[in-house]
Amino acid sequence: MALTMTAKRRLVTTALLAPASVWLFVFLVLPFIAMVIFSVGERGPAGGYQAAFTFAQYANLPARAAAYWNTLLLAPVGAFFCLVVAYPTAYYLAVKASPRHRLLLVSLVVVPFWTSLLVRTYAWMYILGSRGIPNLLDMIGIADVRLLNTPGAVLLGIVYGYLPLMIMPIYVSLEKLDRRLLEASADLGAKPVSTFFSVTLPLSLPGVMTGVALVTILLLGEYLIPQLLGGGKVFFIGNALVDLFLQSRNWPFGSAIAVTLVAIVVVVLMVAMRIAWRISGTRQVDLI
Amino acid sequence: MISAPTNDIEFRSVTKRYGAVTAVSDINLTVPKGAFVALLGPSGCGKTTCLRMIGGFEQPSEGEVLIAGKVANGVPAYRRPVNMVFQQYALFPHFDVEKNVAYGLKQLRPKLPVAEISRRVGEALEMVRLSGFAKRRIHEMSGGQQQRVALARALVNKPSVLLLDEPLAALDKKLRTAMQIELQTLQRDLGITFVLVTHDQEEALSMSDLVCVMSAGRIRQLATPQEVYDRPADLFVADFVGKTNRFDGTLEAGGTVRLGNGAALPVSRKDLAPGAVTVALRPEAIRLSRGTGNAATLEGTVTHRIFLGSAAEYSIAIDGLGDMLVTAERQTQNDLVAPGERVAISFDPGTAHIFPA
Amino acid sequence: MSKWFRENAPISARELTDEFMRLKRGSVSRRHFLGITGLGLAAAVLARQPGFLASPAYAEDLGSTMSLATWPNYHDPATFEAFTAATGVAVEVNVFGSNEEMLAKLQAGGTGWDLFVPTNYTISTYAGLDLIEPLDLAKVPNFDPKTQNTRFTNEGTVDGKVFALPKNWGTTGIAFNSDKVKSKVTSWKDFFEVAQGEATGRAMVHDYQLTTIGNALVSLGFSFNSIKPEELAKAEELLIKVKPHLYAINSDYQPSMRATDAWMTMCWTNDGAQLNRDIPEIQFVLGTDGGEIWSDFYAIPKSAANKPAGYALLNFLMDPANAVKEHIANGAPTTDSRVLALLPAEVTGNKIVYPDEAALTPLEFGAAVTLTDPARAELMARFKSA
Repeated sequence: MALTMTAKRRLVTTALLAPASVWLFVFLVLPFIAMVIFSVGERGPAGGYQAAFTFAQYANLPARAAAYWNTLLLAPVGAFFCLVVAYPTAYYLAVKASPRHRLLLVSLVVVPFWTSLLVRTYAWMYILGSRGIPNLLDMIGIADVRLLNTPGAVLLGIVYGYLPLMIMPIYVSLEKLDRRLLEASADLGAKPVSTFFSVTLPLSLPGVMTGVALVTILLLGEYLIPQLLGGGKVFFIGNALVDLFLQSRNWPFGSAIAVTLVAIVVVVLMVAMRIAWRISGTRQVDLI
Repeated sequence: MISAPTNDIEFRSVTKRYGAVTAVSDINLTVPKGAFVALLGPSGCGKTTCLRMIGGFEQPSEGEVLIAGKVANGVPAYRRPVNMVFQQYALFPHFDVEKNVAYGLKQLRPKLPVAEISRRVGEALEMVRLSGFAKRRIHEMSGGQQQRVALARALVNKPSVLLLDEPLAALDKKLRTAMQIELQTLQRDLGITFVLVTHDQEEALSMSDLVCVMSAGRIRQLATPQEVYDRPADLFVADFVGKTNRFDGTLEAGGTVRLGNGAALPVSRKDLAPGAVTVALRPEAIRLSRGTGNAATLEGTVTHRIFLGSAAEYSIAIDGLGDMLVTAERQTQNDLVAPGERVAISFDPGTAHIFPA
Repeated sequence: MSKWFRENAPISARELTDEFMRLKRGSVSRRHFLGITGLGLAAAVLARQPGFLASPAYAEDLGSTMSLATWPNYHDPATFEAFTAATGVAVEVNVFGSNEEMLAKLQAGGTGWDLFVPTNYTISTYAGLDLIEPLDLAKVPNFDPKTQNTRFTNEGTVDGKVFALPKNWGTTGIAFNSDKVKSKVTSWKDFFEVAQGEATGRAMVHDYQLTTIGNALVSLGFSFNSIKPEELAKAEELLIKVKPHLYAINSDYQPSMRATDAWMTMCWTNDGAQLNRDIPEIQFVLGTDGGEIWSDFYAIPKSAANKPAGYALLNFLMDPANAVKEHIANGAPTTDSRVLALLPAEVTGNKIVYPDEAALTPLEFGAAVTLTDPARAELMARFKSA
């Protein structure tokens, strides 16, 4: 019996989406459901999870207020510094670099991704540690400078680690920016600076928003860089989660914190999309 | 002697090279104040490069471009008293219609009062008949409306020269004809110089006062539309502007051209030395009669007929020579010739263009 | 630097191992390391030699890999090479910074560990949670209970059953770089004062509630194991006051001390011995006001995938000939008189490794209750997030 066209098309669609759907269900939806269930449970006497139905864990969230505060501060601030460094780079790559060298330069931005972030962050530990830059400073008479395990080191590590994720979307949005719009702006009497702020910047905002949202969301879960370059003194939600699951073994509380974090991420993403839509004037915004 | 410049645009021996490629080669061109000039030519002929050199988006490699009598070389686009309507309009997608039009005014220093800006934007929108559309976003406008927004945006600063880069290319035929008339009216009313770049000869002929036909980076002819059509400077112009029948032959002493099939046609060119030539004939300059003619005519058989209403276009296989296109105005209701009929053709010697081969 | 150390384990290889252990805390594949260093091939070739496999102790099928969970800087890499050479079993080493972390991993399941190194006060908890099972001592013929110092070994026995065998004992003291720190540091009270004074920005505490909270309690004159709310509140106050002055909260303090990034740290005996051996200006002292004395054990998780190999490695490590090399390399004191007899005088005479009995008197063994006490866990979280 022959299938009708619609039925066939539906079958093809299902087949195409099946692997991703199964993957997402098993590795995203199911764990999330488990996390939600854990979050209304209780901690066992020796740790772990004990079935219950209580919102005590959520009521206890203020116990990690400092971690939330640090994270909600770090994520946008880190993303902002990333942006400050990334925008000129992306602008140079997309607008100023000669097309002949562009591909090479863009791949140079991506190349660090081929190495583990862990290894690269370790490299920074050595560069910032006493045997690195402070040692060089010592040679010119500036003794006992401490760079490692400072907020500055964490910021540096974050900007370094997430820079490519910020550069790429901005680069893409600048690269597809219609050059005639810039000429039109100049034609209408706008000086280059004015053209940048009236045309280039607003039209690259979708890329900026994508980059900011991407980096912010990843930073909300950041754990490694503050741990390694901040000496464990800088405590983020990621660190709180690690400690709750790996030290005090308070799974329900950890789950409640993680569920809340997911909620925050969703809100951040929605706000970012709204802003990008409003600014670009269309709904054709590629936000991740 | 001090006097106001009478030319808005002047090119003095301008050459533009991109690496090894020469886009524009030693061009001299003057555009009188208030003229409507069309730069016409096939793609890659250098017409857009010329326009962009006026706009300030390109700088000449050699020679000088003058705007209003002043050398503009090195002057950036934002300091030039010219404005441009870009191909596909280049409207700012993140602004509404009003903000697009106000853009140029907002760049003026000292700053214009807000009321003044909004008054002039209103005027400009009225001029292009878009008064009710101020708050529309660009992607909500049709092609024709976007075209008019682009015009209003370019004209709101009252430039001394308006540059138009293929302004009608993106419109359908009906809208294009309407806009041709609109642009012409606008130019007359404003009295400012329009420089239009187009590859469409009909557009160039119908709108402009002067047509500058270009090819391979050089100017082939700068003249009125009528001159360009009736007296093309060379075979390229004759070919590019309007339809042309071409035949190779030999100019003989005494003012006749002997064609490949042996026929000798009288022509009115005494200035050319005898030798190999190409004869170019406009389809509408040819007269058609049924039956056979005399020694000074060509004979052939009608192969196709395209009925156009007020006229008919015929394709005629001339004996021993090849196909010829003839447009015949209808005089009476039964003067149509049918395919298969034998015909004789003739023409006024003055209408045949002879170019040395 | 002592000659015997160099002979046993070349410093470069050791450092490389340390890097790898730190690099991927918790999941350094020994096999991967061997592959990189080229030692794997040699080990594999040795493993194929008849005679090595013929040993009756390894009559069972040991498989080709096993997994060990232990502490940083706690083993001589040569030990595992020798074990691999003798048995053909490659050892994957996972490194942890706290007992809590090990417990959490075992509770979550699926660790794949065949042998791990818990500290004395945790063993009753593991046994209570049914995460470890009594050892079959017949499979560990190299262990001799008669040669063990029961002061350090009795917590391996729960309800009369032996759940864990002793690895070594040790203390938690203070290491400081005397080139940088000129103040007197002899107690935990001194430690927290100097940390806020001369060594501001240069002192480290463990990322480990037992020692960090415990030593803060000691400095205030309370018990190392206190869970009294009012005493914990005072300790919290102190820790939060000290925190802005700290260089780091991290149990892996050797790299920072070696690089002189940190000048003073809470320090375990074995690390103190290693640091002092390589950098004599780094001194190790025990708090006169108290602190921790501990012993570490080997235990086999109930969930072990390759128990035969776990027992084989345990037996290998209980062989005094092998254990003595471990002790020389990691600098922790032994609980086994047979090993003590084999150790060179340099080691047994080292006051860091074998302090005078008087110095040990104020120290306390960790109490099981601290491991599961939520109040201490929350205090630690507040301290870290402050």
